[in-house]
Amino acid sequence: MSAIIPFFQWCDNTMISQAIRNSRIAFPIIENFHLFALTVLLGSLVVLVLRQFGLVYKGQPISEVASALRPWNRWSLAVMLTSGFLLFLSEAMKCYGNTSFRVKMFFLFFALLFQFTFYNRIVKNEGTSAPVGGKIAAAVALCLWFGVGLAGRAIGFLG
Amino acid sequence: MSILSMCQWLQDTNIGTSIRESIWSFPIIETTHVLALSISVGLLLVSDLRLMGYIMKRRPASEVYEQIKPWMFIGFAIMTITGIFLFWCQAVKAYNSIFFRAKVILLVLAAINALAFERGIYRKIDKWDNALVPPMEARLAGWLSLIFWVAIITCGRTMAYTF
Repeated sequence: MSAIIPFFQWCDNTMISQAIRNSRIAFPIIENFHLFALTVLLGSLVVLVLRQFGLVYKGQPISEVASALRPWNRWSLAVMLTSGFLLFLSEAMKCYGNTSFRVKMFFLFFALLFQFTFYNRIVKNEGTSAPVGGKIAAAVALCLWFGVGLAGRAIGFLG
Repeated sequence: MSILSMCQWLQDTNIGTSIRESIWSFPIIETTHVLALSISVGLLLVSDLRLMGYIMKRRPASEVYEQIKPWMFIGFAIMTITGIFLFWCQAVKAYNSIFFRAKVILLVLAAINALAFERGIYRKIDKWDNALVPPMEARLAGWLSLIFWVAIITCGRTMAYTF
């Protein structure tokens, strides 16, 4: 892992990192946006998963619920990644030594991979009810994204 | 007994002290509080957006709202319970925080807005259930709800920085 230390050091020393560190309010403001985006990102996923399990909006095909939620899911993901990257820049070296951060990146990688290779395609083709495979995919997506959130919160608590 | 001394008494109770002194209690309760935002405010957002006329426009507004309501209530129940415990263990700090005070006021305003909606324009839902864009009063309730909750989240997150 030590081969990537120079990258973390570089991140830690960019002008943006220093500007965020030197400001008293930049970090809290960015983190607030990170939290709004978490609410929308996980919220839109929870609605879709509830639909796949047939617990809400049974009158609407799954693909229709998915496309109604898609812009909100996409935009919140964009805000999430941007704000998250800025937070990371401001304390890159702290993140490097943080086990929770590594776990979070692991979850994030697989959450993004799973969503863009499988999950989005699966829900696009589901009609009035989801087959077992679709329900499993829903549960996997939910676990991966909540894993990101859980590990993210642990960065501050556990180290 | 002043409010401050009540807060002091509350955080000195066994429960308050044990949450504060435990390694795991506080992080677990706090993490649950944060992640449950998705089930409470995250779901509320969908019904607010329908009221504003931005999402699921071809479905009746009452359907978008009513079907998600029980799940939303589960989310808000988790938020309330975890929130009470978080307050319990650091009541004095919370009482002295301007952000906590603002948060409580905003929570009351959000509740009043929700009640006014249920008792007001929602009683005449038959007249606008299928409207692509609901009437002004309903859109306003959706906007106010969104604004109040963004402010509540901001106050909640920011008060932790001042502790």
